[in-house]
Amino acid sequence: MTLRQKLLLMFSLTVVGVVAAVAWTVSLRVRRVFEGLDREQTSALVAQFQREFDEQAADMAAALGRMADSDPLRRMAFEFSNGGDTAPYLTVAEPLAQEYRLDYLELAGHDGTIISSAQWPARFGYAEPAVADAGRPPFLKQEELPDGTSRVGLFAVRAVTGSNPPLYLIGGRELDAEFLRNFPATPGAQIYLYRDLTVSFDPANFAGSTPIPAGAAQFRQIVDQARSAGRNATGIVYLTRRREDSVDATAIPLKGADQSVLAVLVIANSRRGMVEVQNHIRAIAYGVAGIGILFAIAASLWIAARISAPIEELARAATQVAAGDWDTRVDIRAGDEVGVLARSFNHMVHELADHRDRLVQSERVAAWRELARRLAHELKNPLFPLQITVENMLRARKLPRIQFDEVFDESTATLQAEINNLRTIVARFSDFSKMPEPQMEKMDARDAVRRVLALYGPALDEKHIAIGTAIASEPLPIRGDPELLHRALSNIVLNAMDAMPDGGTLTVSASRSAESARIAVADSGAGLSEEECQRLFTPYYTTRHHGTGLGLAIVQSVVTDHFGSVTVERPDNGGARFVIFLPIAESVLALPESTA
Amino acid sequence: MLRRFAISGFLFCLVLTAGARTRPRYGGTLRMETTGDPWQMPDGVARRLVLDTLTTIGESGAAHPALAIRWESQDAAHRWEFVLRPGVRFHDGTPLTAESVIASLDQVCANGSIGPCPWSAVHAVGSSVIFVADSPVPDLPELLAQTGFDIFRKDSNGAMDGTGPFRVSGFQNGALILTANDDSWQGRPFLDSIAIDPHRAIRDQWLDLSVGNADMVEVPPEMLRQAQQQRLNVLVSRPVDLLALTIAPDGPLSSPGVRQSIALAVDRAALCNVIFQKQGEITASLLPESLSGYAFLFSTDRDLDRARVLRGGATLPVLVLAVDDTGASMQLAAERLVLNLHEAGFNVQIASSNSHPASLTLRRVYLQAASPRAALDEMLARFGQNGTVSGTDPASVWQSEQAALANATIVPLLWLPRAWAVGERVRDLSLSPDGMPSLANASVEGTQ
Repeated sequence: MTLRQKLLLMFSLTVVGVVAAVAWTVSLRVRRVFEGLDREQTSALVAQFQREFDEQAADMAAALGRMADSDPLRRMAFEFSNGGDTAPYLTVAEPLAQEYRLDYLELAGHDGTIISSAQWPARFGYAEPAVADAGRPPFLKQEELPDGTSRVGLFAVRAVTGSNPPLYLIGGRELDAEFLRNFPATPGAQIYLYRDLTVSFDPANFAGSTPIPAGAAQFRQIVDQARSAGRNATGIVYLTRRREDSVDATAIPLKGADQSVLAVLVIANSRRGMVEVQNHIRAIAYGVAGIGILFAIAASLWIAARISAPIEELARAATQVAAGDWDTRVDIRAGDEVGVLARSFNHMVHELADHRDRLVQSERVAAWRELARRLAHELKNPLFPLQITVENMLRARKLPRIQFDEVFDESTATLQAEINNLRTIVARFSDFSKMPEPQMEKMDARDAVRRVLALYGPALDEKHIAIGTAIASEPLPIRGDPELLHRALSNIVLNAMDAMPDGGTLTVSASRSAESARIAVADSGAGLSEEECQRLFTPYYTTRHHGTGLGLAIVQSVVTDHFGSVTVERPDNGGARFVIFLPIAESVLALPESTA
Repeated sequence: MLRRFAISGFLFCLVLTAGARTRPRYGGTLRMETTGDPWQMPDGVARRLVLDTLTTIGESGAAHPALAIRWESQDAAHRWEFVLRPGVRFHDGTPLTAESVIASLDQVCANGSIGPCPWSAVHAVGSSVIFVADSPVPDLPELLAQTGFDIFRKDSNGAMDGTGPFRVSGFQNGALILTANDDSWQGRPFLDSIAIDPHRAIRDQWLDLSVGNADMVEVPPEMLRQAQQQRLNVLVSRPVDLLALTIAPDGPLSSPGVRQSIALAVDRAALCNVIFQKQGEITASLLPESLSGYAFLFSTDRDLDRARVLRGGATLPVLVLAVDDTGASMQLAAERLVLNLHEAGFNVQIASSNSHPASLTLRRVYLQAASPRAALDEMLARFGQNGTVSGTDPASVWQSEQAALANATIVPLLWLPRAWAVGERVRDLSLSPDGMPSLANASVEGTQ
């Protein structure tokens, strides 16, 4: 990921995060405000219902009071007090209930036996326990009906004025949809009454001034909570999966005289308005956030470009410098930190170039010095015998001819040998300077190993050096120059022979290691120091008196030309181990069977 | 002398005037309203006016001649010969013959509307109709006086044609119009026509009577006191309707003990004194006390404790109580019975459209016969009980009734009268022994 992309991502995430945080904060705040309003509205509705309920109860009680004061009832009571028959009044309750707009009305004698019942005329003669509540404020009562059902009603008991013994009127209004319709309508608020608590929850038992919503079953939890706890239960009820169809519901248990819960009133305040406003705010927030993000991306692009362009130019310049273009420079466009950085970069590159030139120059000088030292060292050895030989020959001119000839012959032989030695030295230097280009071909690395062992086997035997081999059974296909590899391996084997003048063990192995062919040649000689190991592949470095220091340099050169590597190790059991890694050429796996 | 003659003349004129005011006048239309169908069996008013029977029931309860002028039993009441009244014609002019009577009776027996006919064969001999029965039928003359044995013939349209004092002339504004049969064997009735407006609510009937739109309306027993308080001119019959609870002997109430428990649980006094406003006669008998004289022997007391004991711990399903009358008082009585039975541990519901078959039925059964033996036979037939009363003496009747009630499938509750309120212009209207108005002898004032 580029710096510009990182900057762009960082800026974008920052903006998105900020916008999201703001939107969430606003949404949360709005939601809390609306929920608070919603709760207040619901509380107001509950309080309003309580007031209306009390007023309805007072109205009902007043109607019953007017009935108790009415002349027909007083005449009836007078007739009863004088031993009048109650039978003719069997059906009087029903028209009275209609006249005074009561759903329930019963006339009961002083002993509580029913004389006339509007809701269940056949109950005459049976006892009505509610007469014990005469004079009490209106109360809730479960009223049994002829069809086997029961209904909750708001009841009051009054004695007919002046009756002695008392003639009781037990009147009430059913808590049903009609009763609920008397409450003033509040937009968004609905009142439902859950009536039958004798069976498990059934939405069909709801009554309401408006149609019961399809999702009324969702009220179950708060209804059950209110009926079991006996106190108000509140909660948010989702009538459908849509948030707009949720209500802030309060379930109010309606209790009878014995404090048993007879019905549950559910006041549902719609949250539709709040949810719609919330959605509206959220939509605006999303829109603003989207626009902000787009704007932020555009701004980020511009800012990132402004910030990253000089750095990218610096990176490109650094890459060019790394590639060897020491003339690379960056433009200094500003005086800020990036400008300072560019100026420093240019200065650094300039300094590096100077330093490199000086280093090259010094290395060149050092190389020439080393070469001169080596040449001097190599040439000095043969020159001293040559000088001695020539001086001997000059002194021999004074000797008798026979002795002169003898000396002459010896001196010429020595001269010739030393001259050959000089020629060999020169040829080696010449060879190093003229390392040929490798001629790559398909080959098996094992063949190169076998070839070297076959060549130097007899010589190793003569020097009492045992040979240990561990050559893989599978082919080790590589692309290489067989002659150069043979030459490199030969140099290593020769070095090993030199390292074991008194005999020893030469161990050669060829195996596959990951994606490389591993060729190891180990001797049991005196071994190498740490410093020797570090400098061993340096040209013209040698640990022997007669070495040129080019053998292992040639080995490294060959291995490098084959895209491989060569290292020297110091085994724990002594000696030295040279390890060559050459890349496996998978495309040349199908080697001829004969090479295996 | 002249003065005496003048006074005598004045008094004679006064007598003539009084006689003229009380003497029936021909003509006029009597407007009658009913809650039910005037053609229904067995107590349809129109049916009684259009169709005749071979005999009628007199005040004493004995059979009187009608279409048959005399009858005779033979072979220990196994064979009866009824001699037809000569010269009687149906409304279309067809003479009444023994064959037409037999054809009518055959149709009655075939459709089973009155249960199985008590005779095994009937045939004509001249103007006589011969009934042959396998078992003695001593009260066949009284039996043939029942409405179910009306003599009729069907015209080409399938309409019933009779020999009664009125004939059906059609409908007018929803009212059935009956016109006088000038050739009636009983003589022409005084009324020219009778308009019967059916299916009218009692309150509407009373309103029509009060404003003069009706001359004759029904008065249910529970409203008799109210009618009297309103000073209506009310005609009340003897007890002719039996309110009874029938219990299906099969199904959940197959145990006689459980049925007896139900019989003991009902509170007849509350039904009579409150719902029917003391206008009925509490009974546990199939016959009214006035008819049998022994009805008091059947206990009418409620014994709730014994009812609970007899019910025991039987696990019973919800029982269904059907009511064969849609009247408000019958529904109220049914609700009261439900309460009574609930106290005894029975769970009873009044039948609705989707309820199970009823195990209990509250019925109002009409009694037409006026002699104990014939009445018991009639009631047994009405309740679908097999068998007839074997003897003629009261003990035999009592034993037969006791046997019929022993298994508690019928629980008699109340005997109720029938009553009619009539307008001021109706004259000479009386009720026959079976509680039905004798309109053939009635007249209305204000007609020419």
